[in-house]
Amino acid sequence: MLALRCIMGDLRGGGRLLRNLHRTPVCPEGRQVQLSRSRPQRTHTRLLSGGPGSSGARLKLRVRLAVTLLFGSGLIGAWWYVYTEKQQKLQRQRLEQLRQVALGQGTFSLLDHRGRRRTKQDFLGRWVLLYFGFTHCPDICPDELDKMSAVVAALDGDASLPPVQPLFITVDPERDDVPALARYVKDFHPRLVGLTGTPEEVKHAGRDYRVYANPGPKDEDGDYIVDHTILIYLVSPDGLFLDYYNRMKSQEQIVESVRNHIKNHVALNQSRAAV
Amino acid sequence: MTAPNSEERKACWDSRDLLWKCLDDNNDSVSSCQELQSQFEAKCPAQWVKYFTKRRDFLKFKEKMQTESFKPAEGPQEES
Repeated sequence: MLALRCIMGDLRGGGRLLRNLHRTPVCPEGRQVQLSRSRPQRTHTRLLSGGPGSSGARLKLRVRLAVTLLFGSGLIGAWWYVYTEKQQKLQRQRLEQLRQVALGQGTFSLLDHRGRRRTKQDFLGRWVLLYFGFTHCPDICPDELDKMSAVVAALDGDASLPPVQPLFITVDPERDDVPALARYVKDFHPRLVGLTGTPEEVKHAGRDYRVYANPGPKDEDGDYIVDHTILIYLVSPDGLFLDYYNRMKSQEQIVESVRNHIKNHVALNQSRAAV
Repeated sequence: MTAPNSEERKACWDSRDLLWKCLDDNNDSVSSCQELQSQFEAKCPAQWVKYFTKRRDFLKFKEKMQTESFKPAEGPQEES
């Protein structure tokens, strides 16, 4: 703003002050001084530039104006550069702070539905949609997994976005072994990976995202229902929790949210790379 | 015991929806929906039957809370 005022002042002065500009490059402080100093000079110029020499003076005036504008826009440019640099630095610091307190700092090591051991490191660098549930789940888990699959399919349709990896981690390791998960995941998105493990491994994976799971009482068939957190988590490529979606969120809302997260994330990474 | 696959899930949900519609239409009288009730129990695992029965009660309660205002239960009458 200071630089802008400086130029406005110069223009109002009709460029009479231009003569002094190169002598006193620090504009804001110098303005008042210039004003008072320029008066006698003006009369001086008038006296000298009378008659045939006036066109030459007008030309000079234009040159001066151009120089002022160049100089002023240079000042604005410099100020703008410093300002955006500072804003970006603050934003990076804030993101770094949030990163340090984000959920998902830990790791997991589980078996996928093909029986291979998968750790969290295998999924780093990818956007992940994560859901915790169990294969005997009556209605909520299949609904949410259908929704998650539709979201992934919709995002796949956008060529500008990287593919999103859907993950399903069981909260019922007692019944959900590798074959049970293999049967279950084939009803959903073809890229969906089901993960299971020992009760300790599964609990450890859930604890990292503050997932609650509590098996209910068993009936005479040994069947039971597990009460659990029914959120879809969005995990960033650095493995940290970024957002969550509850049952009230529609497929379209989730797609829009994930898309925004991916776009913003890319933008921030680029600005970091540029510095 | 293996978990129901997608066709079995769908069959269970469909029988549930039919039963619930019948109950809605018949003022929740179980006797007039006996046929659908036994189909529902045949197509869904016993745990799911229990779960969906409770869920219907909850959904009805929720609807009542949202449409009608909350009426606190009447306490013991004070003797005058």
